[in-house]
Amino acid sequence: MIDQTKSAIGKKTTSVAKATKEPKPKKRKRDMSDPDAPIVRIEGLCKWYGELEVLKNINLEIQRGEVVVIIGASGSGKSTLLRCVNFLEKTKKGKIYISGKRIKHNEKELNKTRQELGMVFQHFNLFPHMTVAGNVMEGLVQVKKMPKDKARKKAEVLLDRVGLSDKADVYPAMLSGGQKQRVAIARALAMEPKVMLFDEPTSALDPELVGEVLAVMTQLAKEGMTMLVVTHEMWFAKEVADRVIFMDEGVILEEASPEKMFSSPENERTMAFLKQILPPQE
Amino acid sequence: MDIFPWDLAVIPQKFFLFAKAANYTLQITFFGVLLGLVIGLIVALGRLSQNKVLFSLSRAYIFLIRGTPLLVQLFIVYYGLTSIVTIDPIPSAVLALAVHNGAYIAEIFRGSIQSIHYGQMEAARSIGMSQGKAMRRIILPQAFKRAVPSLGNQLIIALKDSSLASTIAVPELMLKGRQMGSSTFMYMEMFIIVGIWYLIMTSVLSFVMNRIEEKLKVSDRD
Repeated sequence: MIDQTKSAIGKKTTSVAKATKEPKPKKRKRDMSDPDAPIVRIEGLCKWYGELEVLKNINLEIQRGEVVVIIGASGSGKSTLLRCVNFLEKTKKGKIYISGKRIKHNEKELNKTRQELGMVFQHFNLFPHMTVAGNVMEGLVQVKKMPKDKARKKAEVLLDRVGLSDKADVYPAMLSGGQKQRVAIARALAMEPKVMLFDEPTSALDPELVGEVLAVMTQLAKEGMTMLVVTHEMWFAKEVADRVIFMDEGVILEEASPEKMFSSPENERTMAFLKQILPPQE
Repeated sequence: MDIFPWDLAVIPQKFFLFAKAANYTLQITFFGVLLGLVIGLIVALGRLSQNKVLFSLSRAYIFLIRGTPLLVQLFIVYYGLTSIVTIDPIPSAVLALAVHNGAYIAEIFRGSIQSIHYGQMEAARSIGMSQGKAMRRIILPQAFKRAVPSLGNQLIIALKDSSLASTIAVPELMLKGRQMGSSTFMYMEMFIIVGIWYLIMTSVLSFVMNRIEEKLKVSDRD
């Protein structure tokens, strides 16, 4: 009764990837969807928690390779929006397209789609009963059905990328918050997602540990990863984002390049918000 | 009348005559709880299921079994079912213990599954795992670990509860004590022996459960 869907999903994607090699320099998986379509497209998305409308008619597109940062006060719906993109929240109204393909709330389709959407959580959510390498390998072995030795090698490469190759056989309880979050990033990257979603990845960290996580994220952005990031780290938004989105009370109020957003925002609320969080000399 | 009317010297002399009976006690407990674990896991998952039929069936099961005495359940299995099927005393005792403990174990599992932070399920789903796989690979291993102390407790309760099987002629410790008592009229001495046997077995079990708990601590800090 437990293991209904088993491996069908993982096998399908790998066989498709083998069949069609793309001429692009970066190794990316082909799929049935339109390669030129935006990776994420959200149309008219609304979300209610009971009577409370937390997302009001959201429309958003994210292009391949783009880094989009969402800012806004707590309760503005930015985390909820991110969770909707990964279908952790069910929505009644609105459409979400991943690579041009409309995703419906159907178990099998979601399991397949989520592999393409790497998610990093505020509280890391590492699997505490598995070692660091075990965490990174889990999706590869269980979902993608990769042989264990191959998955282990891949995990080691990924851990090296986030600077934690020496921690492979340690349990998450032995790591600092920053290290945990870097493992969580490696775990998400292992599935070779088309887009990485970051839900306040540094909000639960001690200040001195924020830098190491942002460094990994900056590196990822440089390598061309498509990213949608909810954060309060304005430095990251300024330096790394291609586009900054300001959300307030469930609405996208303003959307601009970081230069414009931080120097001359158009909306009053955006101004007020930025004034509160940015150092006064700016 | 003696001030101390019991002959304690009998205790070491007759002690090992109870070994076979103790073995029966251990076996019906072991198989009863083993089967109870299976029932408990299924019922706990039913209790947490979105499926209304499974949910209601599980709730009804827990309601009926926790609300009635084990002795009643034992007699229903052994005497009550005879019009349909005759079950021997030992399988009857195992079955009744399994059904009875299954209800309690289901509640232990439900509690420990619910105690796992929902972020674990979300993280598992976010890498593309199905609900079932996430439950099996991520939630249940952590939940089992948290259930161990309560399961140990339940195991000890089950071992002592197995003495009720004496009422349906299972040759376990309690019945042996009664038989030895009535044949020698040394009830006090015989039941002291029975008590010591139970004490030894429960001590060993709690020691073993503690060891298991220790072993499972590897992934915790220090």
